[in-house]
Amino acid sequence: MTSEQTGPNKALKIAGMVGLALLGAAVGSATARYIDVSAMPEDDALNLFIGVVLIALSVVMTVIVVARPTIVAKGCGLLQTSVMGLAGLMLILPIYGADWVSAEVAMAGVLVLLVIQTVANVMLWRQADEMLRRIIVETGALSFWTLQLALFVYAAAERLELVEGMTAWGMIGILLAVYMVASALTAARRGIH
Amino acid sequence: MNNRLKVLRAERNWSQAELADRLGVSRQTVNALETGRYDPSLPLAFKIARVFEQPIESIFLED
Repeated sequence: MTSEQTGPNKALKIAGMVGLALLGAAVGSATARYIDVSAMPEDDALNLFIGVVLIALSVVMTVIVVARPTIVAKGCGLLQTSVMGLAGLMLILPIYGADWVSAEVAMAGVLVLLVIQTVANVMLWRQADEMLRRIIVETGALSFWTLQLALFVYAAAERLELVEGMTAWGMIGILLAVYMVASALTAARRGIH
Repeated sequence: MNNRLKVLRAERNWSQAELADRLGVSRQTVNALETGRYDPSLPLAFKIARVFEQPIESIFLED
């Protein structure tokens, strides 16, 4: 067995990036074909976008983890993808849930998914190696400082009646968007792309 | 902090995945250690020293 880098070669990496770009384009195109985002409230559109991205990422990561299980700490790969996929579903369910069932049943569904996701998150933390835990902690810290700064500026502007109020639904979309960017940045600092 | 992890691993002809398995961490973590993107905790540094049968100070070097 070679002692050199066991990661994919450059051509494979480029092919992977092209594949991901094409998949992203396909997901975006399919979503745009079936859903008229311009007719939706902005907060719904943001949460729908993040939900679709999370589910698509979850599917792609599942394929990668199954194909190359050693890249992540043992037992963490599928937990990570499950947490991501569940987060996506939890964002989409409040938008469309009431069209399929009553609001109460949709809310119950959200809470059930939230409990499952919380258990998966705790399991992920317990099984993660120390670098993954460090990334999780740094992501939380970066998100907190970014969001508290943004929230303070927005709250002050709102109090001064310079901007309109925002819904909690819109805020959670922004929080998740910031969290995703923070997660990508902290992971990239450790060489995880 | 610099380290000699890559050299020591090469001397033993181990892959990153093999070393990761011995240390109980992911291959990504071994890669981050070797490229200086992550400094290990003390427990992991001691484990690395045990795996390579060398003192910590001969594996990890100050900048």
